Amino acid sequence: MEYFLNQLVNGLCQGAIYALMAIGYSVIVGVVGMVTFAYGEIMMIGAFGAYYVFQFVGINLPIALLAAFASSFLLGIIVYKLCYERFFNAPRHISLLCTIGFSMLIKNLVQIVFGPETKPVLNIIDNRTFNIPLGGAISIDLKLLQIVVMILVVVLAVTLTLFFNRTRAGVALRAVSQNKDAAYLMGINVKRTAMLGNCIGCGFGGIAGILLAIYYYSISTTTWGGFSMKAFAASVLGGLVDLRMSALGGLCIGIVENLGITISSATFRDVFAFGFLIIMLVLRPQGFASKKGNRV
Amino acid sequence: MKELLKVENLTVYYGYVSALQKVSILVNEGEIITLIGGNGAGKTTTLMSISNLVEKAEGRITFKGQDITNMAPDKIVKLGISHVPEGRKIFPQLTVYENLIAGTFGRPGMSKDRVQQLMEQSFALFPRLKERTKQAGGSLSGGEQQMLAIARGLMMEPALIMLDEPSLGLAPIIVEEIFDLILRIRETGTTVLLIEQNASMALSIADRGYVLETGHMTLTGTGKELSVNEDVKKAYLGA
Repeated sequence: MEYFLNQLVNGLCQGAIYALMAIGYSVIVGVVGMVTFAYGEIMMIGAFGAYYVFQFVGINLPIALLAAFASSFLLGIIVYKLCYERFFNAPRHISLLCTIGFSMLIKNLVQIVFGPETKPVLNIIDNRTFNIPLGGAISIDLKLLQIVVMILVVVLAVTLTLFFNRTRAGVALRAVSQNKDAAYLMGINVKRTAMLGNCIGCGFGGIAGILLAIYYYSISTTTWGGFSMKAFAASVLGGLVDLRMSALGGLCIGIVENLGITISSATFRDVFAFGFLIIMLVLRPQGFASKKGNRV
Repeated sequence: MKELLKVENLTVYYGYVSALQKVSILVNEGEIITLIGGNGAGKTTTLMSISNLVEKAEGRITFKGQDITNMAPDKIVKLGISHVPEGRKIFPQLTVYENLIAGTFGRPGMSKDRVQQLMEQSFALFPRLKERTKQAGGSLSGGEQQMLAIARGLMMEPALIMLDEPSLGLAPIIVEEIFDLILRIRETGTTVLLIEQNASMALSIADRGYVLETGHMTLTGTGKELSVNEDVKKAYLGA
């Protein structure tokens, strides 16, 4: 029972990181209007940005998070210029293929430049554990790392929501995501706004990237494709463009895969994650989001 | 009268199909100009070309003496041309209030007080929007959405507002409200370029009109002249 509860906490924490990935992914899809398969590598670049802060500046989490956001944000500009900007009027698969090619390019460039070996990310957050009794003989272990991750994700999600709802730039981003032609007619510079949206999504991916690295105590150069697919899956569960529902999708995937491995082995992690996706899509093809209240 | 918008020899192709052939239009300051014509005559294409949302094969468009033929769409809006598109195209998941805010993006420097003032003005024109400021745009009825689209188009204080079929699909009583409103818009000093299938209504309020037929300009004259013209009567007024 205790093992089960601890895995649930693990799942919540990992799900929180997936939620952050999914939020970033949904921002990109929503504002740009096209899916990306370079998201894993974008997260990786964010993780590396933060990693080199740890190496050269020292263990300073706020600066590292900023570096993660900034490096992915900048990569987002390149992705936008190369893969999206000139293909808005082209068939959708063209920009999609471009992002796949771009992801391979980055993955291999990173291995050449930073080396192919997996790098350790240790002692970023004190390895302290709080034992919380739940009455009776049952108690759960809560790591400081898990607390920090969950608080961070909530803070970031709230910040993004406020940005989207309370600022003019946020309203412009949402306008572009809902109807690009109408956004042009409002005098919005659609291309620049779409680029901003893409970069913000990428920046969130970058932060999720370094959180994953801290969570797994290492950065590899090859495992990011899987995370990219999970971000995509979580986003699909949420209906692709609904931030809140995508976050819920990420959280569910995290919990399901961690509970799944309590009854089997950790090698089956992805089986549970994507099995859950398939079952959910069979039951609710439109995702969690309801499409009520839209007359068009 | 000062000329505001001048379209000369505008030609547009969709693939190999010609949508507009050498269409010329002149809009003077303070006028209500209407373009009438049947389905596929090229009315919407004309407006889309002015906003530079379709590619032009030929022609020149000037606004206040400035060449806007190949200007980026958002820059054209910032010069003071507001385009209320066919089918309204409001932002369904933005609230009514946010939709109106979106209308001010064409005027980046506008002060908060001015935005608030304009907001009050729209609510004075459309009291029904005031009751629904927090409601999602997509949940409004068709007539309310049309009102929101026009109100949004007025938020940028345009010199020229182009209305594409504002009466489309609306109940007759609301259509009358909308035509009343167009007259009121002109009173505030805004020039109006109106596209309508409801030709009799449009001609009754227009200073001048142009008749488009399958991409060609066939007739032009004052609203009165056109509404008594035999050809126009036969083709568009159902007489």
